[in-house]
Amino acid sequence: MAGLAPRVDYLAGFSFPVGGLAAGKPRVLRLGAEILLSTGRELVYVFDSGGRQLTAVYRFPGQVWHLEVLALRRMLFVLCAWSGVYCLSLDQAGRSVSQSERDEEDSEPPAPVIPVDPDACVLPDATLRAFTVLDGALVTLAQGTAQWKLQLFECPGPGQARPLGKTGEVELSASTPPAGGPGKPEAPRFLPVLCCVSPPGCGASHGLQRGPRGFVLEGALFGLLFGMDATLLESPVVLCGLPDGQLCCVILKTLVTCSSAPGDPKALVRTLHHLEEPVIFIGALRTEPLPEDGEDTRCDCLVALGHRGRTLAVKASRDGAGSPVPELREYCLPGPVLCAACGRGGRVYHSTPTSLCLVDLARGSAPWLGEEADVPAAGLGGLPSLLCPANLSICSVVTLTVSPRPPGGGTELLALSARGRLLTCHLEQSPEAPWPSRGTTMDTGRKIKDLLCSISTISERASSLRRAVEQRDQALTRLNEALNVSCALLSRREGPRPISCTTTTAWGRRELRDVLTATCLLESSGGPRLGRGWVLCVQVLPGARAPDPEAAGPAMTYTVPVDQLGPGGRREVTLALGPGEDGVLDLPVTVCCALFCSLQEALGGALAPSGSFGDASRDEDRPDTLPGPGGICLPLSEHTVDLLQGLRFPGLAVPPAQASGPSGPAPDPVDTFLEACCRPAGPEPPRATYLPPSMAAITVSAELLRAAWGGRFSGTSLSCATLQWLLAENASVDAVRARALSSIEGVAPDGTDVRLTVHEVAVADVCPTGPLQAAEIQVQSCSLASVCGVHGAVLRRMQRVVEEQAARGSSPPDLRMQHLHQTQASHEALLREVRMLRDQLCEEDGAGSRAATATERLLRVYRQLRSPGLLLL
Amino acid sequence: MSHQTPLSSSVPQVNCLDLWRAENDRLVRQAKVAQDSDLSLRRQQLAQDSLEGFRGLLHSLLVLETQKQLGPRLEGGLMELWNSVLHVSSLPPELLPALHHLAGLQAALWLSTDRLGDLTLLLQTLNGSQSEASGDLLLLLKTWNPPAKASDDPLTLQDAQGLRDVLLTASAFRQGLQELITGSLPRALSSLYEAASGLCPRPVLVQVYTALGTCLRKMGSPQRALLYLVAALKGESICGPPLLEASRLYRQLGNTVAELESLELLVEALNVIPSSEVPHFLIEVELLLPRPDPASPLHCGTLSQVKYLLASRCLQMGRAEDAVEHYLDLLALLLDGSEPKFSPPTCPPGPCMPEVFLEAAAALIQAGRAQDALTVCEELLSRTSSLLPKMPQPWKDARKGTKESPQCPSWVSATYLLQGQAWVQLGDQKQAISEFSRCLELLFRATPKDKEQGPASNCEQGYTSDVELQQLRAAALISRGLEWGASGQDTKALQDFLLSVQVYPGNGDASFHLLQTLKRLDRRDEATALWQRLEAQTKLPQENATWSLPLYLETCLSWIRPPDREALLEEFGTSLQEPCDL
Repeated sequence: MAGLAPRVDYLAGFSFPVGGLAAGKPRVLRLGAEILLSTGRELVYVFDSGGRQLTAVYRFPGQVWHLEVLALRRMLFVLCAWSGVYCLSLDQAGRSVSQSERDEEDSEPPAPVIPVDPDACVLPDATLRAFTVLDGALVTLAQGTAQWKLQLFECPGPGQARPLGKTGEVELSASTPPAGGPGKPEAPRFLPVLCCVSPPGCGASHGLQRGPRGFVLEGALFGLLFGMDATLLESPVVLCGLPDGQLCCVILKTLVTCSSAPGDPKALVRTLHHLEEPVIFIGALRTEPLPEDGEDTRCDCLVALGHRGRTLAVKASRDGAGSPVPELREYCLPGPVLCAACGRGGRVYHSTPTSLCLVDLARGSAPWLGEEADVPAAGLGGLPSLLCPANLSICSVVTLTVSPRPPGGGTELLALSARGRLLTCHLEQSPEAPWPSRGTTMDTGRKIKDLLCSISTISERASSLRRAVEQRDQALTRLNEALNVSCALLSRREGPRPISCTTTTAWGRRELRDVLTATCLLESSGGPRLGRGWVLCVQVLPGARAPDPEAAGPAMTYTVPVDQLGPGGRREVTLALGPGEDGVLDLPVTVCCALFCSLQEALGGALAPSGSFGDASRDEDRPDTLPGPGGICLPLSEHTVDLLQGLRFPGLAVPPAQASGPSGPAPDPVDTFLEACCRPAGPEPPRATYLPPSMAAITVSAELLRAAWGGRFSGTSLSCATLQWLLAENASVDAVRARALSSIEGVAPDGTDVRLTVHEVAVADVCPTGPLQAAEIQVQSCSLASVCGVHGAVLRRMQRVVEEQAARGSSPPDLRMQHLHQTQASHEALLREVRMLRDQLCEEDGAGSRAATATERLLRVYRQLRSPGLLLL
Repeated sequence: MSHQTPLSSSVPQVNCLDLWRAENDRLVRQAKVAQDSDLSLRRQQLAQDSLEGFRGLLHSLLVLETQKQLGPRLEGGLMELWNSVLHVSSLPPELLPALHHLAGLQAALWLSTDRLGDLTLLLQTLNGSQSEASGDLLLLLKTWNPPAKASDDPLTLQDAQGLRDVLLTASAFRQGLQELITGSLPRALSSLYEAASGLCPRPVLVQVYTALGTCLRKMGSPQRALLYLVAALKGESICGPPLLEASRLYRQLGNTVAELESLELLVEALNVIPSSEVPHFLIEVELLLPRPDPASPLHCGTLSQVKYLLASRCLQMGRAEDAVEHYLDLLALLLDGSEPKFSPPTCPPGPCMPEVFLEAAAALIQAGRAQDALTVCEELLSRTSSLLPKMPQPWKDARKGTKESPQCPSWVSATYLLQGQAWVQLGDQKQAISEFSRCLELLFRATPKDKEQGPASNCEQGYTSDVELQQLRAAALISRGLEWGASGQDTKALQDFLLSVQVYPGNGDASFHLLQTLKRLDRRDEATALWQRLEAQTKLPQENATWSLPLYLETCLSWIRPPDREALLEEFGTSLQEPCDL
């Protein structure tokens, strides 16, 4: 493979943005000894390859998207983003520069930056996306609101004072450019590509000559592709490769601009093919050896490359009857393709972020692989069925051009790398003897220089490859970890999980306010390690049950990266649940914890093109190759925080805390004053003035409770045990236990007092066997909301107990049905009354003395309804 | 409270609206300067600047922001929005001028996008109760009287009144054109009169007059039509459509000289470099007109299309010399490409390029320039040689020795036919017979409408019709038969004539040539039978089913037509009777 290594010559370095130059917009051209270059920014450099120095730098008013040069007239055409086409004469500018340089001949003169005059804009049009120059015409492609528009103008000269005469126009009807919003849209990711091809007869005598990027096609191929009329007219044809993958052609001589006879796109535009990926390059080349004269460079094969490497080649061949037919083949080359160029001898060079590759359409493989490689022989003169790219060991070339006729034969490529390095790359004609075996000292010196140059290229490439391999390894390790964790968490349904998350609540003080905080503790008790890419997601949802997406109210999600959690490791996350600024804390809330592993994070840059090619290209490719925002989500725990956990018990506080006031630390007196001032002057809530404290009660059979507790609370009286059980998740449970309380007074988050009392009662009349031992839980507060909240929390616990008991299959004790019926009947009577009173209230619209009595009666009935309380057995 | 915008700030000078207005007024003044200055790049740039400025102004409008959000919902509901605005019971009177101005813009937009129903509704609402019942767009536009704007309003480039006049002319013209194309001529006439009476720029007036000419010609008043066309041509710059219309008129009148003259003038008119389009600052009538399609009387084609029309008309009218001149001009124009901007060739439905070559060759033969015709034919074949199937002929190296016969486009055989005819004129019978044979070889291989191979185009492959193929075969057979006959090989001639009668029985010419040959060979019985059949045919009403054949084929058929059929039949009849009497 030694022959594959080309001789690389480093010419100059140009500035490049962080992450390297992006492909698509940089251009490099050779004009004799001069090299014209743009890196996609505002500057166009003229570099003298003989003297190895910059001779001029032009500054354009916008990003330069495309360059073309008319060699004979030495005219430079530049497409400037959002501005239009500029035309400069290189000679005039060159003269002035050399004069200014004469002063400082000894030192290497920094090339002067010449700002380009706005008057040099020969075609002001902000919608232009591509152009190409023929000797007699300028072809432009503009992006309209709904269509691409191809326009033909008379070829301008520098210092053009009048608007260019438009000689033709057609809309490419079958394609829609990406819709741009109003105002200045973003720079398009892919620009369309134009290529001009001519039939063989279209020679110098004609006005429409092939331009700098034009190709002369063999008659048969030209006729097959573009039809009899184009052949007879000997008209140049413009091929357009669009970002949507469409490849269409327009016969230039058929374009009209006459307003009284507008051109019909259906007749003028023909779609040749659809690559289904952005077209990066269109070119033509000669695959068959020329029969006689070597001068004639008629191409016999048209090539188009797409961004992902899909390649189209078209040749003319003859069918069995001798009629000419087009032979069309599609190949898949490694992508993403950054740029490409056609060389002599059927070669296509194309660059990807990792390598510059060469394929030979004449033989299918690289010329020196021809004998060894296992390539199916192509038919006589036909296209190879398979292409084997040969690697030239140069990476991330963003623009490429093949020098027309390098001195000393062989092939010379001119390339600009993503790191802003301008390189020439010589491919020898005979790879078996790339270097002369004997040479003079000068040769040796040159050889050493060449070797050093290629070493630097190779080392750049090697380091990029190494980085890519490392990235890939890391990504695989992370993926493996993620899979292990998922298995461990998902496979074990019973028993303790290797990674668990527990949530506890406590009151704390933050920013001069008392807040209820939830602390989620992530613990790993052996099992797999959590590596990079894992995050702990804590979701706080209003309401008691979490996985109800319909639940109204906003959910808050906190994500905390878990950076390396090994066995035995813990990670704690504390979040404030409230009350917020408004002083409201709506309990219950549900805290859900889950582990999430983002694939994008875990895989990192491993899937993107790696190496020295920077972030620009990686971003460019991410949407296509990476799985996007997807990942693995493993639910860990779900915890409901209710009012029983939110109660504070200042009466239980240890003496120092007690000294500081009834409800935790004393509020700032200024705060208190301000609060008092800000509070609306309206009356206090009515409960304080005239309503007696509300009360709710639940009676639970001791049997049920004991069954639920299992062995816990043995040796404690039923009422104390019940209270401790209810407050088990409250931070004050220890004090309750220590003092063996059966009744306790607390403060709800909104500041109202709540009393919880547990009595041991005997319920008669229920069981035929005799009175039933039970615990009566009373909730009492002057705030109805607090009563409801605590009542609800107690009920939820009871519900859980009952569900657990039912699941265990225990049967309730025998009941006296008659008593139950009685209770039910009396309750139904009360409910009827409630309904009646409600209707009455609705009718009266809440006003008047009758309404007041009705309200009072309603409250009384409600109290009666609750008075025997709920009995759970 | 720190988010207050300067809108409600305490300094009244720096009000957003005032700023907006000052910028607007500045841009209007700038645009007016640009409008008045000479056509140059500077002007274009100035205009682009102003446009960008206006665009910026629009974006700064909050109104537009909300409209953007409405998005697709707006599309259908614009009319509803208008309705809700216009039906507000108490519309502040100071808003009325702006509202009418906006309505004028909306009307222009709807007119150009052909939403005439909405437009009519809008105008009905704007006009209020006075003309509620009328659905006539022109009438509505005429009665619409937008209120004048106050002197202290922001500057505008085009006021509502001016907009209304433009809309009136444009919709009258559009309507007239539409009625003209659909054939309701009297209504078209009145609409076009309406358009012509409005204030409109000269180019539009020329178009209106042309359309009036077309309308009057179709209504059978050629003299009045001519008056309008003359009026249309009176301006300083001559333009195409009235000249094309004049040629049609003269053709209808049978005045060939005048017809061809107007076509020649048209060619000259199209030769003038079209001045580059002046960017329109304001809403003008031109912008609201539809682009002319080939059905429109305002479609006059391109230079090469007109040149082709002129050449083919000359050939049809028997002016071979002129035809030759125009065909050669056309070919030079198309092929030389020295002035590429004038070289759009024949678009469909015109003939394809090979046919233009063939017609040129036919015209050359007709004009007695056989050698030149041969050159044209050779040029055609050489230019397309790479696309033609390789013939299994001795002088061409057939790479593949297959027996399959390749298909050739019809014009290839036609080229051989014309080459043969050229040799006939040059007196080389051997060459002529060889060309005819080549032609026949291809023709008998061909199947009609074979369009499977090759790129599809109007004439890439195959034959356009059965009749064309049959006529070509008959023409080639007759041509060869005539040459055999001329060289004294009457039996061979007889064979060809017999065959040609078989391939296309409808072609009477073959039968006459057959009759003559039979007579020459003294095969009296067969001749008599044929004569009787022909006699019977001539007595039947002539069924002149003229297939539309390519012009080159028509021309070629005219060369091999027996000079005087009637005389021939009569002469033969008498010669038949003579021996009987004896």
